[in-house]
Amino acid sequence: MTDTTFDVLIIGSGHSGGMAAKILTEKGIRCLMLNAGPVADVARDAQRKPAYDLPYRGFKPPGRLEHVFQANEFNANVWVDEEEVPYTFDPANPYNWVRVRLFGGRSLFWSRQSFRLSDYEFKGKSHDGFGEDWPISLADLSPYYSRVEEIFQVAGAQDGPPQMPNGNFIPVDDTWSGSMQRFIKASQAYNMPVCKQRRAQGRDGLASSVNLLLPDAERTGKLTSIANAVVRQITVDKNTGQPNGCYFVDRLSRREMHVKARVIVLATGTLESTRLLLTSNLGNSSGVMGHYLMDQIYGPGVTCSVPEARNGNATQQLMSGSAIVPRFRNITTKYDKFLRGYALNLTSHMGGVDPRNFAAYGAELQQKLHEYNGSAFYITVMGEVLGRYENHVRIDKEKVDAWGIPVLRIETKYTDNEFNMAKDAVEVSCSVADAAGFEVLSKNIVPNPPGYSIHEVGTCRMGDDPKKSVLNKWCQSHEHKNLFVVDGASFVSAGWQNPTMTILALSMRASEYLAGEMNTRNI
Amino acid sequence: MLRREFVRAVVSVGLLPKALLAQQTANPEPPPPAPVPWSLGLNPKTPLPVTETAEGIAEIEANFFTPAQLATFTRLCDFLLPPLGDKPGALQAGTPLFLDFLIGSSPEARKQVYSGGLNWLDAEAKTRYKLPFAQLNATQADALIKPWLRTWMTDHPPTELHADFINIAHEDIRTATMNSKAWDDVSAAAGQDWVTGGLYWSPVEPDMAGLGATSTHLPPHVMAVPKAAHTMPSYPR
Repeated sequence: MTDTTFDVLIIGSGHSGGMAAKILTEKGIRCLMLNAGPVADVARDAQRKPAYDLPYRGFKPPGRLEHVFQANEFNANVWVDEEEVPYTFDPANPYNWVRVRLFGGRSLFWSRQSFRLSDYEFKGKSHDGFGEDWPISLADLSPYYSRVEEIFQVAGAQDGPPQMPNGNFIPVDDTWSGSMQRFIKASQAYNMPVCKQRRAQGRDGLASSVNLLLPDAERTGKLTSIANAVVRQITVDKNTGQPNGCYFVDRLSRREMHVKARVIVLATGTLESTRLLLTSNLGNSSGVMGHYLMDQIYGPGVTCSVPEARNGNATQQLMSGSAIVPRFRNITTKYDKFLRGYALNLTSHMGGVDPRNFAAYGAELQQKLHEYNGSAFYITVMGEVLGRYENHVRIDKEKVDAWGIPVLRIETKYTDNEFNMAKDAVEVSCSVADAAGFEVLSKNIVPNPPGYSIHEVGTCRMGDDPKKSVLNKWCQSHEHKNLFVVDGASFVSAGWQNPTMTILALSMRASEYLAGEMNTRNI
Repeated sequence: MLRREFVRAVVSVGLLPKALLAQQTANPEPPPPAPVPWSLGLNPKTPLPVTETAEGIAEIEANFFTPAQLATFTRLCDFLLPPLGDKPGALQAGTPLFLDFLIGSSPEARKQVYSGGLNWLDAEAKTRYKLPFAQLNATQADALIKPWLRTWMTDHPPTELHADFINIAHEDIRTATMNSKAWDDVSAAAGQDWVTGGLYWSPVEPDMAGLGATSTHLPPHVMAVPKAAHTMPSYPR
């Protein structure tokens, strides 16, 4: 076995790695998949428990996962521990790096919002002069989006404006609830399109690499997978200078091993792929690697109450449904306060209202909670973060992780463009809510730290010019034709959209290109 | 060679390989110590002993708050979340001592919010009413607390001094109380399933390397995952 050379080594098993494995193995290519963590078996590893039966009554275990706001005591063990795999940053500019190393990666836990990028993103520079255009357009990616949407069973309506392209959806044709209709009417002053939410339904309740992609690859008999394999370095053939495998450390035994492959596909999640390339000193003749880290601002939003739904009067007809307001700033007119724009997620909800929406306590608070129960209308913001050279990651030579691998230094911060965007989003939301007759209970204009959205993209951006980009339009290294990065690292701009559908489509497209090149022996 | 010695030599040669092979067996099976091998017996039909949560049974002492802080905090808990209807209040839920444990286990910044906040609150009570906060009546406590209550969104508590403590403590007190066994027991008595529960994930194949003596005795291996008992899903495409 030690002399085995695989056709393709895929590092990472989430959405992008799973898609690469599916596409490549279905074309007869023999793949080895390495994943840094173990397989999560819900029957073995999880059980329902009351909060009081846990040491911290459901609170996040103190001192752990400080930068994973999503963590609580129930799920604390699924995230990457910040002490085991640390990263560094300037304390004045913290970064929330939210990671999962279980087999399937973050595809096991995601919000399922499923959007295509539009040419307002792919050709953003042509539209407003900022940054760079992608080397591909919506037309290039559209066929792949359609296939991904089929696999992931994306439900949605064909109601998108040009900035939110329609797709291959399971039809959603339910009628708007009364509260949504009121928001839609009130929003007309802003020329704000309000569309049906788009969501990956998956199969059997899950929309993950482990149930939608990897089973197809395993069925071919062409996929070999190893869990708990923490990749330390990509190795290079001394004669050709081309990548030829990797060293990895067994997570449990600390034993170091090596595997060989003709082609390397990185799919470890944006920042881990970049970290691995930087530690391996590969593919960075442009000097661009690590730069242009982007994500989306999350955290700003408004919580409202629909007065007519209070005091037990909430009904499904009045209070239900969700909607997406795609970016509406800087589409047909130029907005002077910021570049690009933001989307709004709308949720009309019959459940309880959070106590922090009332400046009250004790019996008065209890009475408020009772009165307002069933009347909540939530508006949350997803805003595009601009790609800036100075927002970057590099290797921190002073610190290593639990396996002796150098850690990442993350230096990124939001600018006035993002802060102004957040402020505008909340002002507009409050204005529309007022016009709709809703009561604004609470609001926030301060974005969460960068990274919180778990939508980190960029740092190995694609482009036609090898001096200004790391990858070409096929997610292939400009320098090493047998090296691909198929996760979010290739993004040129972030957009307001959740990136998962685009990552999947890019991985599918890159993998089909790779299979073709291997078939014709160009690689 | 005498015939007797020749025969002995031939017999020895014949026995030698077997004797050598016997020595090469590194771990010969030890004799059974008892009629049933010690590691067998537990099976899916084995009854599971019933245990209870220690909190509520055992006596607990404060380890973080000073006696004065604990008195202030206990009054604050009772003031912000008293028993309402059939639900226990923060005191019945053991919230003051639970939060003493939680905050005492927390990073310094969180400790400071509580220590500073409790000291400030007690000082305010003494300045305004010449009484410790723990001895204020509801009207007096309301006059101190209410002006600092704010509305706020998840992950964004007020950053203003004093408002930060009051609002963070208020949320912690409510969460600790509503996640308590006392609260759950009342819900169960009312016919509700426990309402504070969720899917708890144990450590998944925890990394044992850091655990003291075990760290140098780990066998070199790469974990393989056994095949699932169920078949791979196949979806129409």
